[in-house]
Amino acid sequence: MPSIRYREALKQAMSEEMTRDERVFLLGEEVGHYQGAYKVSEGMLDKFGPKRVIDAPIAEAGFAGLGIGAAMVGLRPIIEFMTWNFSAVAFDQILCNAAKIRQMSGGQFTVPIVFRAPNGSAAQVGSQHSHAMEHFYAQIPGLKIIAPATPADAKGLLKTAIRDDNPVLCFESETLYSVKGEVPEDTEFLVPMGQANIARPGKDVTVIAWSRIVNVALDAAAKLEKEGIDVEVIDLRSLRPLDTDTLLTSVAKTHRAVVAGEGWPYGGVGAEIVDRIQRLAFDELDAPIERVQTMDVPMPYNAKLEQLVIPQAAGIMDAVKRSLYRA
Amino acid sequence: MAKLLEMPKLSPTMTEGQLTVWHKKEGDSVAVDDLLAEVETDKATMEFRSFDKGTLLKLLVPPDSLVQLGQPVAIIGEQGEDISKLVPTGGAAAPKQSGAAKNGEATEAQTAAASRPSAPPKATPDAPQPPTANATPNATGTGTATATPTPTATPTANAEGSMPSPDGRVRASPYVRKVARERSIDLSGVAGSGPHGRIVAHDLERAPALPSGRALATHAEADDVRPLSMMRKTIARRLTESKQTVPHFYLTIDVDAAPIARLREQINEDLAAGAPRSANGDAPAPLKVSVNDLLIKACAIALVRVPQCNASFTPEALVFHRRVDISVAVAVPDGLLTPVVRQADRKSVVTIAQEVRDLAARAKAKKLRPEEMSDGTFSISNLGMFGIDAFAAVINPPEGAILAVGKIRAEAVVWEGAVVAGQRLAMTLSCDHRVVDGAVGAKFLAELRSLVERPTQMLVL
Amino acid sequence: MVATTKTNSKKPEPAAPAPDVRLSRLLAFYRQMLLIRRCEEESARAYAQGKIGGFLHLYIGQEAVAVGACAALKPDDYVVGTYRDHGLAIAKGMNVKHVMAELFGKATGCSQGLGGSMHLFDAAHHMLGGYGIVGGHIPLAAGVAFASKYREDGRVTLCFFGEGAVSIGGFHEACSLAALWKLPIVFICENNEYSMGTPLSRTMSVEDVSLKAAAYGMAKDRLFVRDVFEVEARVGEAVARARSTGEPTLIEARTYRFRGHSMSDPGKYRTPAELEEHKKNDTLVQARSAIVAGGAGEKLAELESDVEREIEEAVRFAEESPEPTADILEATTYSGPFAR
Repeated sequence: MPSIRYREALKQAMSEEMTRDERVFLLGEEVGHYQGAYKVSEGMLDKFGPKRVIDAPIAEAGFAGLGIGAAMVGLRPIIEFMTWNFSAVAFDQILCNAAKIRQMSGGQFTVPIVFRAPNGSAAQVGSQHSHAMEHFYAQIPGLKIIAPATPADAKGLLKTAIRDDNPVLCFESETLYSVKGEVPEDTEFLVPMGQANIARPGKDVTVIAWSRIVNVALDAAAKLEKEGIDVEVIDLRSLRPLDTDTLLTSVAKTHRAVVAGEGWPYGGVGAEIVDRIQRLAFDELDAPIERVQTMDVPMPYNAKLEQLVIPQAAGIMDAVKRSLYRA
Repeated sequence: MAKLLEMPKLSPTMTEGQLTVWHKKEGDSVAVDDLLAEVETDKATMEFRSFDKGTLLKLLVPPDSLVQLGQPVAIIGEQGEDISKLVPTGGAAAPKQSGAAKNGEATEAQTAAASRPSAPPKATPDAPQPPTANATPNATGTGTATATPTPTATPTANAEGSMPSPDGRVRASPYVRKVARERSIDLSGVAGSGPHGRIVAHDLERAPALPSGRALATHAEADDVRPLSMMRKTIARRLTESKQTVPHFYLTIDVDAAPIARLREQINEDLAAGAPRSANGDAPAPLKVSVNDLLIKACAIALVRVPQCNASFTPEALVFHRRVDISVAVAVPDGLLTPVVRQADRKSVVTIAQEVRDLAARAKAKKLRPEEMSDGTFSISNLGMFGIDAFAAVINPPEGAILAVGKIRAEAVVWEGAVVAGQRLAMTLSCDHRVVDGAVGAKFLAELRSLVERPTQMLVL
Repeated sequence: MVATTKTNSKKPEPAAPAPDVRLSRLLAFYRQMLLIRRCEEESARAYAQGKIGGFLHLYIGQEAVAVGACAALKPDDYVVGTYRDHGLAIAKGMNVKHVMAELFGKATGCSQGLGGSMHLFDAAHHMLGGYGIVGGHIPLAAGVAFASKYREDGRVTLCFFGEGAVSIGGFHEACSLAALWKLPIVFICENNEYSMGTPLSRTMSVEDVSLKAAAYGMAKDRLFVRDVFEVEARVGEAVARARSTGEPTLIEARTYRFRGHSMSDPGKYRTPAELEEHKKNDTLVQARSAIVAGGAGEKLAELESDVEREIEEAVRFAEESPEPTADILEATTYSGPFAR
């Protein structure tokens, strides 16, 4: 199986699906002529031409809404935001149109659209460019949310998303784009949504993560292994639907859980996971569920402070030990 | 055909409106969309326009009326039409101006009644009392809830970690509770190492061997499962704590009980002779002294003679009590209680007998006050009346020792070279080795033997 | 690109149809406008009776715009509208029964009672919905036109909005994209002068909304709505341009609503005299007069009682229809299994 980068896996997914289905097209800022702000769509303009790889002006609300309208009448757009931060100006389109049209039309119209972009912190890009936006969107019924952590999942989940008849939001990470991993070449390689992956089996504590933080959690688990602590790392892969069964099965085994992810601690996906576990596996818990999240402040520019604010392996290790009453 | 005009909904949230002014009067002709009245809604003053054409035959509410949504306000129809059937009778259509005020008053009155202070909470002497309150040795001044922290607490447990919660509630993680349910583990006997004494999974590994580890559920049909009473929980917790954390050792003596038995008989004969009698013979049964009462007195004197045995262990210091307060184990229907005879060394045997009789009666009736069951310095447990020859008792922390008394046995003894009928009594002292060493315990028992075998000493002290 | 601009003065007269054809079309227009008017009046009554909840924005006074504009379309063309959408829905051919049932929140409504007054949808009639966020639907409409261009299906999209929407970004971004990508769409600004309750002069720096097209190099047109045929002709011209060249047009149609912004609007921002003045130009009344003048007055009684019967049936249908049940909530939220 060839080893390719995360960004190439995304491109493979889009290219395969565009080849498979004429209705699929890619639209976003800098996706064509510039070859992609993060080079995810490199070469796609040459391959598919300007009709299907479309450079958009800086008008997120405009082209997000345009994609939704096109999807309503049968096209299957992939809308790339340069980053999820910029989706905030298109939030109304996603909240009030993409997520609502099916229900408020009594089920007459569906919106088969994919929005995708890098998300979360990168490296010293400051407070306005470091948002973990998945928490805002995961709250909205009508949307599906994926957050692949590996190149293989990037390909398999994005392909599934493009084939889905609902609006799907794909949360990538700038720091994952160059990560390499084995990715099946199969054009029918699909990773279903709503099935978490046990990235590392263990028996002592369950660490639940998604996207970039899965790698941080695996790093923490490797270090804890040397201290005799056997951590199970669960990569959620999709946040909505959320694979509650896998979480509960794991917690029934370990009796302890730590949720790790980017994003502020107030509410959000982490809080939702904690709620489900405490509600559905109360009798399995031997310790309060710990959360390791972005510190509750806007992202600072200063490199050291930024690292302090972002979830780190050391923070996950501390939380694991607290859940074992060893801290 | 005449019809009622009803108060329309003029805003999404409107439930009633103040009809402030009529723009038409009775007899006026009305076209569709004509302004009929103005209505103040929760949002704004709105125009009430007609959906119908005709003649306004009757106004049903005066201006400035508060009108409910859908309530008739006017009748519209053809000039001269009979509207008697449409005019509401009685006060049905009356606006709510005055009604609202009345309701307000009523509500206020109800509120006043509801908020009247209730009687102070009744004291509940009937409530079951714990067998022994967690004693706080005054001398230590640590303010901790017990004087015997678990020496086996792991180094990772924090300072407050190993303490049972002060309110007596067992704190355990949900998972621990589930396991305890499944395996019938009594969590009151498990020391928690988590925050605030929380029992966590790790603590279960150190819990006493589980009764064959069988699950309750599979035998639920056969077994009589009774929820733990508060008393049972406390007994379980405290005695487990004692046996797990207090290093017990045992010293046994077997004494000649004939002298004390004889003394008891003599005292009781005198008491019977001196008891008041009433004409009709319904006087209360005369007081009798038991061997146990005599032993309480004997122990009290022995403790005065060997004060090292009247002691408690605390992590900071050994505490030697200046008072001799003897806890007496009393069996009650669902457990046992240990009321305390205070300053037994200074009380006569008869006084002790009276006190024990009173304490035991109230123990069985669950009427003992907590302070009557706490702060003893030494315990006596007597199973002689149940036919037990000899046994060893579990120390009642923070006391340093407990004396287990068997029955007086009639058996052949060798006396001055001849086998004669004798009376023997076996007593076992359980000692907390942290504060009472073997030699001290032996010295105490020597004194006790001397007192029991020559009981007149008790009378001169 | 070359901007095509049109104004009232440059506007050529449309080829006049034969008188009898024109009269029969006028009867049809009048019937549709009357149907809308009566539907709105009855929905106002039902609202007052508490049978309709939430917001209710009436189209009374503006009927000629939707009826004229939709007359310029082929059945397969798309329309996208605002929350003031009952008129558009009926003009696009939707059954009044399904509109009324939707207002009543019934399962037989066009959106199964889930959308309500502001969100009328009908896939069969290519009515792509009424939308409640001002300006939010304009980019969406551009997307529908984008799809037509992408698929080369020859369809045109009409997007309706009020002059209040012209100040929000969505309008400008949609115009920008439509002009840039030559999308077959006609933007129709129904300027009823008051946004919600604030006069135009207090919210916009230019009074002529159609001028906004210039910034995007887009064709424009502007008319004061007096006559349903005129609306049909002017919109028809823009539709033809969209269909043949893919070029979008911005049309400003000056109109006037006779009722408040919504049912909870007392309309204190304008004088009764002003309202009465506008009611004299009621296009519905004028259409009726034209029919009488054209010698077809004898057909009115049957037509009008026909409309009354249709409205009565619609109200009865709405009243008698069942309410939707909870089982459709999740099924309509996602296509396929619910994602939780």
